[in-house]
Amino acid sequence: MGTQRLLAILAAVLFASLTNAVEAAEGKAITIWWAQWSPADGLQQLGDEFTKKTGTKVTVHQIPWGSYQDQVFLNFGNKQTDFDIVVGDSQWLGRGATDKLYLDLSDWLPKAVDLTTIHPAALKYLCEYPGGSGHYFAAPCETDAMGFAYRKDWFEDATEKSVFKAKYGRELAVPQSWDEFQQVAEFFQRPERKRFGCAIATGRGYDCLVMGYQNLMWAFGGSWGDPATFTAKGQVDGAPAVAALTFFKQLLASGPKGAPNLDYGDLLEAFTNGSTAMAMNFFAFSPTIAKQMGDKAGFFVMPAKDGKRVVSLGGQGFSISTKVAPAQQELAKEFIAWFNTRAVQERWITKDAGFTANTEILKSDAFRKATPYNAAFAESLDHVQDFWNVPVYNELLAKAVQHLADALDGKAEPKAALEALAADHDEIFQDAGLRK
Amino acid sequence: MSGSRGLGYAFVLPTLAFLVLFNVFPLVYNLVLGFTNYRLSGSTWEWVGGLNYSRVFAKPEYAAALRTTGLFVVCAVAAELTLGFVLALALTRPFRGKSAVLTLLLVPMMLSPAVMGLYWTLILNGDYGILDQMLGALGIDQPRWLTDGSLKLLSVLIVDVWMWTPFMMLIALAGLNAIPAYIYEAAEIDRASRYTVFRRITLPMCAPLLILAVLLRATDALKQFDLVMAMTGPNEGATQTVSALLYQTLIKEGKVGLSSAYACVVLVGVIALASLFTRYLDRLARQQGRTG
Repeated sequence: MGTQRLLAILAAVLFASLTNAVEAAEGKAITIWWAQWSPADGLQQLGDEFTKKTGTKVTVHQIPWGSYQDQVFLNFGNKQTDFDIVVGDSQWLGRGATDKLYLDLSDWLPKAVDLTTIHPAALKYLCEYPGGSGHYFAAPCETDAMGFAYRKDWFEDATEKSVFKAKYGRELAVPQSWDEFQQVAEFFQRPERKRFGCAIATGRGYDCLVMGYQNLMWAFGGSWGDPATFTAKGQVDGAPAVAALTFFKQLLASGPKGAPNLDYGDLLEAFTNGSTAMAMNFFAFSPTIAKQMGDKAGFFVMPAKDGKRVVSLGGQGFSISTKVAPAQQELAKEFIAWFNTRAVQERWITKDAGFTANTEILKSDAFRKATPYNAAFAESLDHVQDFWNVPVYNELLAKAVQHLADALDGKAEPKAALEALAADHDEIFQDAGLRK
Repeated sequence: MSGSRGLGYAFVLPTLAFLVLFNVFPLVYNLVLGFTNYRLSGSTWEWVGGLNYSRVFAKPEYAAALRTTGLFVVCAVAAELTLGFVLALALTRPFRGKSAVLTLLLVPMMLSPAVMGLYWTLILNGDYGILDQMLGALGIDQPRWLTDGSLKLLSVLIVDVWMWTPFMMLIALAGLNAIPAYIYEAAEIDRASRYTVFRRITLPMCAPLLILAVLLRATDALKQFDLVMAMTGPNEGATQTVSALLYQTLIKEGKVGLSSAYACVVLVGVIALASLFTRYLDRLARQQGRTG
């Protein structure tokens, strides 16, 4: 009996290895690497549909956000990557393209995907390098932008409305400008009752602080530098940027005690624990907010300054590794083309944070009314801009976080912090041979 | 004779090969990389001469990381030594439940620093942290431990001291228990004061073990990484130790050449420091040999 069982196990193991061998021999499997979050679950579900349709097995390997970037680029250091497709951040494009880690999709993408249906901002920031060059190194996957979740129930409360009107002489409503935002935040700031006005992105991990600050920096008229000459001095530390950083710091007074260092997870927590009136975050977190807060939560687009509204871009694109066999690259292309068809995109938007770049879907009433946050997301996409996506983006990000943090922590005045930041960015551009 | 020599080589060779492969080769390779512009995800590299070294000496963040590490080592080791020795002195006397107290005191050093760092971020959190809530309940001002620039390093230090004081205590306790009782009895007959006993007997006889503990802790504190990573991250200027800066440069920015050069500079510093310690230990051993 024991021998029979042993033989049965051996036969099963042999069968399984043979099946895998046949599968591998046929090249009927692709591996996608993405961060560990709910959209990746949605992508796996679509991948399973693709498997049923074509027989090609799709595995979405999820890696925790904290180590995602490190693991991807360490893997690129190998002769062959463990993934065929990587869903990479927009900022990675320059590094992926310049170091020849991402496959050049310039000839293939326009034929495989109808680019006229892709939102221009998504195409420019998530797929193209350099922006506007017509050279594509990624295809749209998850499109995202920053926005605000707010306590709809507090905003609609009759007492709050009348007190607000008496104090500020206008109706309590979703803020359209940063000045209105500051007023509303101040109004709801009641620390003695554990109620706070706003929570904004100030975390020191990866890009959080930069993503939060640049919404204001751009709206106030500042910039990260001249993309033609790669000069930061005079722009990163210009008067509009200094005013933006000073204002950004002022907003922290209307936040919870840890306001100067709130990462994306903290922002989510600050809102879903019911203590905060308005919380900044990427729309990708909105499904979690909507599920936990129900009708109490509403969503709005980033406020404007003197009519100028700019929003930090989020999201990632599909890039194909140059370090896999051509047959694998073909399979990857097949999957990406299928994913970007209208029919699949309509299923993608039903997944948690499955935000599309398809303009036809974005414009549709069905999409805008499907969730409480879709309309704000679709509008935000018309105002997005991105941080540098040059190969040295990570050094630029790290320096930006350090100096902005110095200003928030009181180690330096906003002007001094931005001057130091501009000098560092100029040096990085110079070292990278980008300065003209 | 030649057979036994061959056998000797056969025994030594595997260890030698292991050492060359895992110690000498990486060291030499690191030295070579320090003169290149090699990047983590790049496939090519070029010789850049002493450019990486000139950058290491010119850029303020490298000197700042050395200063932060130095400050951390001095403060952490001094606090741990003092507290550990005081605790050990208290534990030399018998009392009820001594073994339970000793076990409890040893728990922090048995835990993972990375996990403890994450737990302490919860304890020190400005909004929902237990510590600030307790201070608030007592009407004491609640510091922003992890967001106030001047308190960040102190927060990491507090956790390090909490974790590693038991280690100092354990070694000090071993040293105190090794002092023969008759020496104290002789001092008592001579009517030596408590202070004289401590200064002339307890401290000198414990010193070799304490210095060893300081050496071990200082070496460990020089590598401080886990707590910094867990509590403030590698890119935080106020707590950026040498290891954190190396991680930031190598892993986050992918600059293998630059980080190799910096690692070489740090290595020279660590070797110089370690040789000072070992010389001192040798001198101490010689002195004890003469007196013993």
